[in-house]
Amino acid sequence: MEHLLETIGRNLFAIFGVMALGSAAFMVASRSAVHSVLGFLFTMLCIAGCFLALEAEFLGMAQILVYAGGIVVLFLFVVMLVEMSKKSGAQVFQLQSRYAVAAVLIGAALFVGVFRKVIFGAASAEALVLRPGLAQGLDVAKQNAQAVSRGLFADYLLPFEILSVILLVALVGAVVLAKTERV
Amino acid sequence: MNKILRTLIPFDIAKGLAITGKHFAKVFFTANRRKVRYHIVSEYPEVVAKIQPRFRGRLTLLKDEQGEIKCVCCLACEKICPTQVITIEKGKKEGRKMPFPVRYDFEMERCIFCEFCVESCGFDSIILNHQFELAAYNREDFSLGMEGLGQNMFEPSPVGKFSVADD
Amino acid sequence: MPIPTLTQSVVITLIQCLLVVIFVFVVVPLTVFAERKVLGHIQQRLGSTRVASGHIGVTGWMNRGMWKWGRIPILSYWRGIPGLVADVLKLILKEDIIPAKADKFVFFIAPAISMVSAVVVFAAISFVPGTFFTFPTWFPYLGGLPVSGGIADINVGLLWILGVASVGVYGIVLAGWASNSKYPLLGGLRSAAQMVSYEVPLAMSLLAPVVLTGSLNFGDMSARMATGLPAWGLAPQILGFLIYLTCGFAETNRLPFDMPEAENELVAGFHTEYSGMKFGFFYLAEYINMTVVSALAAGFFLGGPWLLPFGLQGLLNPYLPSLLSWFGQPHAIFFVAKIIFLLFTYIWVRGTIPRYRYDQVMSVAWKYLIPMALFNLLLAALVRCFAV
Repeated sequence: MEHLLETIGRNLFAIFGVMALGSAAFMVASRSAVHSVLGFLFTMLCIAGCFLALEAEFLGMAQILVYAGGIVVLFLFVVMLVEMSKKSGAQVFQLQSRYAVAAVLIGAALFVGVFRKVIFGAASAEALVLRPGLAQGLDVAKQNAQAVSRGLFADYLLPFEILSVILLVALVGAVVLAKTERV
Repeated sequence: MNKILRTLIPFDIAKGLAITGKHFAKVFFTANRRKVRYHIVSEYPEVVAKIQPRFRGRLTLLKDEQGEIKCVCCLACEKICPTQVITIEKGKKEGRKMPFPVRYDFEMERCIFCEFCVESCGFDSIILNHQFELAAYNREDFSLGMEGLGQNMFEPSPVGKFSVADD
Repeated sequence: MPIPTLTQSVVITLIQCLLVVIFVFVVVPLTVFAERKVLGHIQQRLGSTRVASGHIGVTGWMNRGMWKWGRIPILSYWRGIPGLVADVLKLILKEDIIPAKADKFVFFIAPAISMVSAVVVFAAISFVPGTFFTFPTWFPYLGGLPVSGGIADINVGLLWILGVASVGVYGIVLAGWASNSKYPLLGGLRSAAQMVSYEVPLAMSLLAPVVLTGSLNFGDMSARMATGLPAWGLAPQILGFLIYLTCGFAETNRLPFDMPEAENELVAGFHTEYSGMKFGFFYLAEYINMTVVSALAAGFFLGGPWLLPFGLQGLLNPYLPSLLSWFGQPHAIFFVAKIIFLLFTYIWVRGTIPRYRYDQVMSVAWKYLIPMALFNLLLAALVRCFAV
């Protein structure tokens, strides 16, 4: 019993990860848009579970609060309002497949570019940990909400603000796409 | 300024809460008391229901002091009845000058208790009594007559356990 | 104090979960009963008096005797209680109808999401700081081990509560969509809009305690809010309490904000097509959510397990004579009493204020509550800056 529980506890990350992948596959594969959103919701919850398994409590909770509680609700809202059943199945996304491939390539390139140091082993994950000056008087393992906030508002303030600009770009892009569709 | 303050500080809500809270407390602390009670409902099946004087219940034929039926078969009630639930058969009786109803049928299932019949009656010979528990198990029980198959129109309805007897 | 092994701590956690579930399933039916009674009393009625014990069994015999004697029975007030049992039996035994054109899977899972997200919030709520009780030494397997006052004493308890509560909206939206019917869909959409908008001022009003205490742990926050604030920490607390309570009413879809199931407009809103125990789950979830909101309000603003609300306990404690030191200590019973009072307030407000129109509900959230919550946050920050 003891052994079993310990094994489960040590492998929580893997368990949640497999569940997240499974529900993500369900999301992509399912024909009904609302089922997809449900799968997406479960993926988000499982990712939060992954964060919890890594003892990043704040990130896990923020994941639930922002994604599961806010963004996926908006997805659901849109999906419920938009009539999807008329264009059924595979027809919907066929036109954009070229762009999709391009987007995936660009995304992968950006990912490798940003995390090149971590991926190619030049820097360990410790590079991303709070620098000691900021971590002063903090038990980072216990108070990771405070640690994240110190990092965000001191060292990473500029990237943080730039992120919001990127979100703005995404919003403007969405408006543009919606407009061209209507004309 | 006053308006802004009233918006920010929920005076009106507090006033409303005070009123309902007062009612709640009064009823809560006196619910089981017999004399001074604040709740305005009676516990009907256990306690005899209080009926307002102008309540319109079941149609009843009245008798005069000698025990004679007052109805003289003028058919005014039969004519005015909007749902035609009254059927009267005129007849004669020994020792009585006025016509006498041989049959006075009243089909309560269709009656709408409008009291037109009572208003139209020139001899005050029918009333709607205060009886309100009029449920029955069979359709036949609703066709009332002077006597015979249906129930008697002089007696209170046998249906309903807690009937108010004293009209 | 012995240190529990992993298995033992898991068992203890399960026991805590059981205790919380028992608490919830005792409080919820009593709230349903109290709702009938209190609403009745507010309208000068008696509320439910009509089931069983007034008519059958020993109590029925006593009651009938007292009626014959011409007295109102002593048990009169409690005669409605067996109606709760009747209600639950009805919910369980009723036929469970699934509409032919409904999305069966989503239709099935929606009440479960509502229910789970309502109950799971209790994980982060601590009823009393420190140890709740210790198992006696003769107890098999768990002898001598302490049971803490909350299930999970996590550092980000507040975020857990807000996050899981915000997942609850899926139950309502998905129920509305899966029923494949007009009124449920409208009810679901309305409630999604309402709950998402009221989450903003709700979270902001809870940010004031976060700023004041500098913590996200439920137990820490309630302790600091109750005992660790200066006298003029009162102002942001009272304003924040009012804002929080208003948002809580909207968040649990209670009157005066019951948009999702506005009876005279939407039949029964999102659960029009539900019957049997699935409907029962929505019903239960609503009342459990009420309990959760009350627990948060009690914990953050009304002093939690301490006696006095709004941080007055901290001002009083130095002057408390040693004879009355019991009242200076945290006790779970104070917490539960506050929860019960707030549940009563829910019903009280329901009996007092008529329903808002849909646009009014939205304007209350965006035009009044959010600016007020921001102002409250500013007050809290000032107090934090200069007084704490």
